[in-house]
Amino acid sequence: MKSKERERDMRQGIIYVGLAGLVTAFVSTAAWADGETIAVFTKNQTNPYFQAVRVGADAAAKVLNVKTLHYIPTKPDSIPEQMSQIEDVVVKKPDAIVFTPVDYKALVPGVEKINAANIPVVNITDRSSAGKFVAFVGADDYNTALETARYLLKTLNGKGNFIILEGVKGALTNTDRVRGFNDALKENPGAKLLASQPGNYQRLQALQVMENLLQSYPQIDGVLAANDAMAMGAIEALEGANRSAKVIGFNGTKEAVDAIKAGKLLASGDYNGFLQGCIGTIIAARTLRKQPVVSEILLKPIVVSKDNYQPYETPVESRTCPSWEQALTLGK
Amino acid sequence: MTDIVKPVAPARAFLSDDFLQILYRLLAALMICTMLAVSTESFLYLANILNVLRQTSLLFFIASGLTLVVLTAGLDLSVGANVALSACVAGTVIHQSGQPVLGVFAALATGATVGVLNGAMVAALRIPSFIATYGMLWVLNGLTYWYMAGEVIHGFPPAFRQIGSGYLLGLPTPVYLLVIFLAIGAIFAQRTVWGQEIYAIGANPTAAQLSGIPMSRRLLLVYAMSGTMAGLASVIFLARLNSAEADIGESLTLPAIAAVLIGGTSLFGGVGSVFGTFVGALILTLVLNGMNLLAVNSSWQPLVTGVIVILAVWLDTKARRRRL
Amino acid sequence: MAETAPAISAHPLRRPPGVAIVLTLLVVVFAAAAPSFISSTNIANVLVQSTLLLLLSLPMTLVIMTEGLDLSMGAVLTLTSIIVAIVSLSTGSMALGLLAAVTVGTVFGLANGYLVAGLNIPPFVATLGTLGMAQGLALIASDGQSVVGIPRSVTEVYLASLFSVPLPIVIGVVAYLAFHGLLYHTRFGTYIFALGGNREALTYAGLSPTKLLIAVYAISGAMAGFAGLLMTARMNAGHPTAGLGLEFDAIAAVAVGGTSFERGNGWLLGTALGVLAVGVLRNGLNLLALPSSIQVASVGALVILALFFDGLRSRS
Repeated sequence: MKSKERERDMRQGIIYVGLAGLVTAFVSTAAWADGETIAVFTKNQTNPYFQAVRVGADAAAKVLNVKTLHYIPTKPDSIPEQMSQIEDVVVKKPDAIVFTPVDYKALVPGVEKINAANIPVVNITDRSSAGKFVAFVGADDYNTALETARYLLKTLNGKGNFIILEGVKGALTNTDRVRGFNDALKENPGAKLLASQPGNYQRLQALQVMENLLQSYPQIDGVLAANDAMAMGAIEALEGANRSAKVIGFNGTKEAVDAIKAGKLLASGDYNGFLQGCIGTIIAARTLRKQPVVSEILLKPIVVSKDNYQPYETPVESRTCPSWEQALTLGK
Repeated sequence: MTDIVKPVAPARAFLSDDFLQILYRLLAALMICTMLAVSTESFLYLANILNVLRQTSLLFFIASGLTLVVLTAGLDLSVGANVALSACVAGTVIHQSGQPVLGVFAALATGATVGVLNGAMVAALRIPSFIATYGMLWVLNGLTYWYMAGEVIHGFPPAFRQIGSGYLLGLPTPVYLLVIFLAIGAIFAQRTVWGQEIYAIGANPTAAQLSGIPMSRRLLLVYAMSGTMAGLASVIFLARLNSAEADIGESLTLPAIAAVLIGGTSLFGGVGSVFGTFVGALILTLVLNGMNLLAVNSSWQPLVTGVIVILAVWLDTKARRRRL
Repeated sequence: MAETAPAISAHPLRRPPGVAIVLTLLVVVFAAAAPSFISSTNIANVLVQSTLLLLLSLPMTLVIMTEGLDLSMGAVLTLTSIIVAIVSLSTGSMALGLLAAVTVGTVFGLANGYLVAGLNIPPFVATLGTLGMAQGLALIASDGQSVVGIPRSVTEVYLASLFSVPLPIVIGVVAYLAFHGLLYHTRFGTYIFALGGNREALTYAGLSPTKLLIAVYAISGAMAGFAGLLMTARMNAGHPTAGLGLEFDAIAAVAVGGTSFERGNGWLLGTALGVLAVGVLRNGLNLLALPSSIQVASVGALVILALFFDGLRSRS
């Protein structure tokens, strides 16, 4: 009996050691080369927008010969996790950081930690409410939303019943976009806002909210959705109820572009994650190489519609980053 | 623990006690309908009622398989992530092959595989179901995130989309599936030996084992069924949303569990029914629909849902104690 | 009070518990593969990052020992962190903020206890309900926005050091010692063991299991209040969704640590090791900059592996 137990113990011991060896071998191959390292922080793995940011950052890194390391919370949009990731990354001391805060206010202590460690950091997408940054690269949510809404109103001659589908409450992008929508509607006395309900940037939620709103309002002419996923959800609801309305979204995702091509979606506000990733990384690299940079690049508001969608059809993986000179012209 | 003399709950739905429980719940659902009909006229619009039925069906598909797991005093926390992965796999298959039928098979296969793995962990490796399925949830998420790489699969053939968003003879298509699976589930649970054995396992595992029920195989079965139903649900979601994304499962698990609990299935196992879960799903959907129609601030929704879950189970517990 | 450790109290047996195996494996692997892992800054980071989860997992151990669950902890934590922010913002006092947070947390704990022990609602359901309530209140109180502008005294809690040991680590150690003392060296602790394994004995002894259960959940709620202060200090803000979902991490840490859901067995050190294991895993994976999907899957694998090893042990 005892020898059997010892045999089993030995077997278990061998399994543990073997496991340890295997895992060590596996993770050691993830070791990194020397050279400038840029840590890129994004909010989650599931939103195509942030995937575009990461692809953009990697594309720029390849051209500039720097290495990017990506840090994404395992729980989407988790504030404590991004905090922990900042603390862990600061220990490793990357040469520079490109940073999207999960929450533009709550991550300020994290930015302060990065500042205290004297690592240059570029802020992209969501403008952090405090902290020292080399530069901010982002889109102008307010103006892009304003222009996209204006496009919708022009198509409808400034008249009609409208619905706003809001994103996540408290998110900076949401606040600015909804403000842009509202201001555009206010510019047109013939436009009536029926309801403004949150869809949390989620397709299914927007679909269900839209379905319910279709019950309450027999006449809806336009839907302003704060992102493409919600716009698509609204379109599904409309098709399901056999009703039609002009829908605008935000983000310019591939799906939105396809829908614009097919005539289902009227327009989408361009929110170019690829460009932001590119330019943010370029600025970080230039800072490390002591080349001149600017402190802010706010991408010009662009409305993606049936007139100009072609360039957006290229998948992000195949796009090329602009050069620095080109990037400077993209800002306002 | 003194579970050797725990009474085995009678498992046939048409015996007075369980029947009464379901009746009470149906009455509750009716009450909610009445209140909503009075508070807002849009509730009774045909389109809204059909919407409610459709949304209930979606919730029911996930919750039905889950019911069987809970009947064995287990839990399957991975259903939401399972739906997401299955939807993404099915979406890819449909796009690549152009054949929706293949996609359906792919979804069912994925869901079933996940379910079998869960069952193996619980039955063979003796890992508590909470932990096993919680771990599986993370593993599935990791797999789905890696596989999707932030992309969205969108655009499916209109014929396929009819499954989720279409109508058949005036009723939403998922409702027919709801009726079919409700019938299958009820018959399986109440009228087959396997079903009875599942109740027995939950009610009194020791007695069940002693009476010769093959515990491991039955446990494997219930988790496999939970997984397969998640796979089926993913097809409907795919058809309805016309897209597959990595995060569609995040918000699906807790409502499914809530539906099972509101429907009268006990977490301790051995008591409950698939039909009860249907009524639970109906109640939950009615409440959410009502809050949407009444434009209740979305911040209140989790609160209201929480109160209802507590209320339902409390009433249930009181009734059960009085009976014993 | 003499330690009355009942025979069912768990202490490591001849073979090492699953969590110890997993933790050792992790430390060995990461020390070998990631150069900065063993540095004092990094170790301090891991310990500080784990404090929050530890503060939740310690009371969760007690709750699970009574064959219960507290699913509301994450939501109550979120609510109390907002309360800390709001109260300290308006009064300028960190102490008042803490007091308010602990009070609210305890109220939720008492509610949970009453639902479970008084109304006999299964803990899963009762705490699922209070989760919704706390989540709703957090959203309403903050109007969906971060609450900022809180006084420096709150942030100091996270940043300060006591004899060059970061304050959060001190808080964690103190909490652990407090719970250890409570569980293993007081009569109340014995009662907690009994609540899990032998509830009738308490009634025969003339005690009220109901009141004791309520106390356990109340402790859980109070700890969520303390953790709320820490969380707000860390973010320098109160955020309406920041702590949601942490209760599952806590439950996983407790289960990984060897406390069983069913038998009233409780191993507090195991819980602490479980918390550490999760923290080390996350930290190591970050240092190695492994793809995020692998990180996500690893968390699941960790949890399953730890219990798998445990299962091997108990089956021999």
